[in-house]
Amino acid sequence: MPSSNIARSAAPPIARLIEAFHRLPGIGPKSAQRLTYHLIRMPEEEANEFASAILGVKEKIVLCNICANISEGEECAICSDLQRDQTRICVVEEPLDVIAIERANVYSGQYHVLHGIISPVNGIGPKDLKLRELISRLQNGNVEEIIIATSPNLEGDATAMYIQKLIGPSGISITRLARGLPSGSDIEYADDSTLAHALESRTEIPQSPSDQSD
Amino acid sequence: MTSKRPFTYTTDAVVLRISNLGEADRIVTLIAPVHGLIRGVAKSARKPNSKLGGHLDLFRHVIVSIRETRSLHGLSQVSTVNGFRGLRDNLQRFSHAAYVSELSERFSVESGANRPLFQLLINVLESLETTTNQEMVVRFFEMRLLQLNGFAPELSKCVETGVELEPNNHFYSPDRGGLIHNNYQSSGEAAVLPASLNTIKLLRFLSKTDITQAGNLKAKESDIRQLSRILREQIHHVLDRRLRSEPFMDEVRTRHNSNQISK
Repeated sequence: MPSSNIARSAAPPIARLIEAFHRLPGIGPKSAQRLTYHLIRMPEEEANEFASAILGVKEKIVLCNICANISEGEECAICSDLQRDQTRICVVEEPLDVIAIERANVYSGQYHVLHGIISPVNGIGPKDLKLRELISRLQNGNVEEIIIATSPNLEGDATAMYIQKLIGPSGISITRLARGLPSGSDIEYADDSTLAHALESRTEIPQSPSDQSD
Repeated sequence: MTSKRPFTYTTDAVVLRISNLGEADRIVTLIAPVHGLIRGVAKSARKPNSKLGGHLDLFRHVIVSIRETRSLHGLSQVSTVNGFRGLRDNLQRFSHAAYVSELSERFSVESGANRPLFQLLINVLESLETTTNQEMVVRFFEMRLLQLNGFAPELSKCVETGVELEPNNHFYSPDRGGLIHNNYQSSGEAAVLPASLNTIKLLRFLSKTDITQAGNLKAKESDIRQLSRILREQIHHVLDRRLRSEPFMDEVRTRHNSNQISK
């Protein structure tokens, strides 16, 4: 481990913390040191709060029994909210995707978190995803639409295809998030697949009320 | 003496593997004709506005600029040569592409030029997009891969005795890398697989044919199963491991055959 040399020359508790930070995703040896020394300078109260927040996450957070999203109780806030549309389920890869879609503030249905994506080259198959739980959710007959919101890449497409083949015979409507050119991008740099999807999913420009009155 | 390569170069490559790094970066494993396996970072490739993300998807044939560093190289200025769109809307084609892609990675090394393997991979991905005989195209890939890497199966003589084999049912030994005469008594040390006369003919045909003819080859399901087992066991023996993409490929095939998943 690259941080080992630095960690070895530090006092053992500091070295332990540097190593712990270094194990986190996206944290290199330098960042691990910076975070450690920031914590050392932190007031004791703040440090205790930080430590108890980490412990709290490990002790209190479980997976929702219904949608497999991370939750504080057996059912997450979204699943227990009866005001939300119970007939639509948006299938996402990770809990962070739920936050992203909720941030858009345009969807009021339910979610289902797969906790991964079919990735044969990384040894992740359908059995490693929360697909069985999704199928059992459909047994009550309330669900009218499944919105597949997997990433717009080959593995996301394969996962969507697999779900479609699995659920298709049940007669439930299966949709996928639209895909095409992102806002603010240049057509010049778009790849063939994105352009093809954008062209296939093109929409008519609605006439504005001012044009109609002319 | 090793030749000193330029610090930055542009190359053809096929994307074999992708994983996430940090908040928005991707680690991409590529195979290139001259530079072999390349592991590089595509900065911010996961962001919607990224100029790289759309091009650096699995199995894509791209032209990419590589900036060499001591660990992960930097990837930039990517453009697509062939996106193999036919692999995108069919689960079975996707599973086969994943298998040949993983095999290409396992049989390659960093900085190890392997132009024939690169060309073979491109040809097989192109064929998998449209062929109605994916199974035989994949078997062709396995056979050619073994040949390119010096593990061509011995298909005319018994690997135990060296005598020419008469047209008959025989055995195949992955340990010895070839056919064994049907009067061979297994000592129990090394496993041998049954190889029917038809399977032996298929093996010999695949060892000499091209991808177009392989794609047109028709055979009985039982012979294809036997052929598949022999080639796969041979590859497992060479690599000393099973491939991660095999269970998914087998599951999709089983479901496809039983019409649970069909395209």
